[in-house]
Amino acid sequence: MVETGIPKLDEILGGGIPKGKSLVYYSQPGVEGEVFGMQTVYNTLKSGGNCVFVVSSTIPDIVKGLFKEYGWDIDEYKDRLCLVDAYNPLIGAPSDEKYIVANPDSIESFNKIIIDLIKELPPSTIVFGSLSTIMDLCGEKETIEAVRNWNKMAMLYNHVLVYNFTVWPYTNQTLHLIKEELFNAVISIGSIAERVIFGQYFGILKSDWTKETKKSMLFRVLRPGGIKLFIPKILVTGPFDAGKSTFVHALSTRAISVDRLGTTIAMDHGHVDYKGFSADIFGTPGQERFDPIIKLLSGESMGVILVVDSTNPADFVRAKHMLDITKSYGLPYVVVANKQDMPGALSPEEIREQFNLPDDVPVVSAVAKDKLGVFEAFEVLIDKITGGT
Amino acid sequence: MADTIDMVDKLLADLKNIGGVEASIAASRDGLLIRANMPKEKFLASLAAMSATMLGAAETATTQVEKGLPTRVIVESEYGRLIIVGAGPKALLIILANSNSSLGLILIELDKSAKKLKELLK
Repeated sequence: MVETGIPKLDEILGGGIPKGKSLVYYSQPGVEGEVFGMQTVYNTLKSGGNCVFVVSSTIPDIVKGLFKEYGWDIDEYKDRLCLVDAYNPLIGAPSDEKYIVANPDSIESFNKIIIDLIKELPPSTIVFGSLSTIMDLCGEKETIEAVRNWNKMAMLYNHVLVYNFTVWPYTNQTLHLIKEELFNAVISIGSIAERVIFGQYFGILKSDWTKETKKSMLFRVLRPGGIKLFIPKILVTGPFDAGKSTFVHALSTRAISVDRLGTTIAMDHGHVDYKGFSADIFGTPGQERFDPIIKLLSGESMGVILVVDSTNPADFVRAKHMLDITKSYGLPYVVVANKQDMPGALSPEEIREQFNLPDDVPVVSAVAKDKLGVFEAFEVLIDKITGGT
Repeated sequence: MADTIDMVDKLLADLKNIGGVEASIAASRDGLLIRANMPKEKFLASLAAMSATMLGAAETATTQVEKGLPTRVIVESEYGRLIIVGAGPKALLIILANSNSSLGLILIELDKSAKKLKELLK
């Protein structure tokens, strides 16, 4: 198995791409698709594998600069990375690379280099920076025949082939072949405007070694950092003095609050970068007089964290009511049993009973002020949001 | 989709071009950043959330005392202004301007842009 290095994607693919298989990142124009192949290159190198990167849309030096921008030091792995320059000859510039496609506008020239590499190299991950540029220069039919052949040979020699492909207006027949036939797996990458969230998503269109899954994930591309799964809004709510602000601050890389006299009057807002996820956290006030603001802030949440003071069962009714006013039913949520360090704290099981919670709602014990249980709660919620295990 | 993004960007760029305007931001009513034209990026998401809260709080306050919906929220601060207007039921517009800016001109343009943004997000 070769991991793609894209968060969550490896998990859905059952661990990554098996040796001998091919995968295409099928991205709509205008979406940051090329970073997918690059992240797979870097991840392969980092985990000790050999890698070939076929550069066909710009000069290799620019590509090296891009890797740096994402914070990926490929120089460290120079001896296991082989860059194939399929651009400089096109503009008549000299190339410093060992492997050069002499005529990037002829598929025979590609064939020569790629087939040699497939035969010579130990099992590697071979990534094409842009299949669409090759197709534009060498012709659709010719390129497809070559790719079909490369995929077969890769299967025999145990390589993994990964292609970046941008869906320009090619013939329907070409697009159909790419989507349905040519590759073992197709990952589609596109943009959505769902109500007001403008975002980019990826999802599995096809994979012949795992079960079908229709799930798609929002992502954003950070420099440095690469592809991170993006959760636009997680709501942290709960009764007065349950420790919501403390929780938001404990979880966030950076956070701000509007506090007066020790209580949140408007909101807490924080940002979390954790294990390949990038999420914005909205914390609501707790007192009833702020209910209009709670309603206002709770729209479009993807998940809810309900924080309760484990020593104060009197407030549990209010806590349940807050799930109501945030219209959170139907959304994935976790209950955080906070203040577990205090005398008289109810155990998570006792809280589950008092709340009469369904079995699939996790109750996480926490001491927010000491950052205990905070990331566990986040992870459990993320798993529920992304439909993980 | 990508086109809507371009159009929102254009609208924000036009607002940014008004004298004294330092940043223009589109956010959702519930505090999510839609797009922004702003040099300092770190605080953006929080600014969007805070502004939505302010406008929402203002709307709740004035409607509760039967004074109708507020036209806008203007915050005068030590070194400038923060102006928030609603742009239809889904979105709002936020302007950051320096103290030398002409408030009247900004408000006229802002109201026009708010109507346009409402249309764009329909």
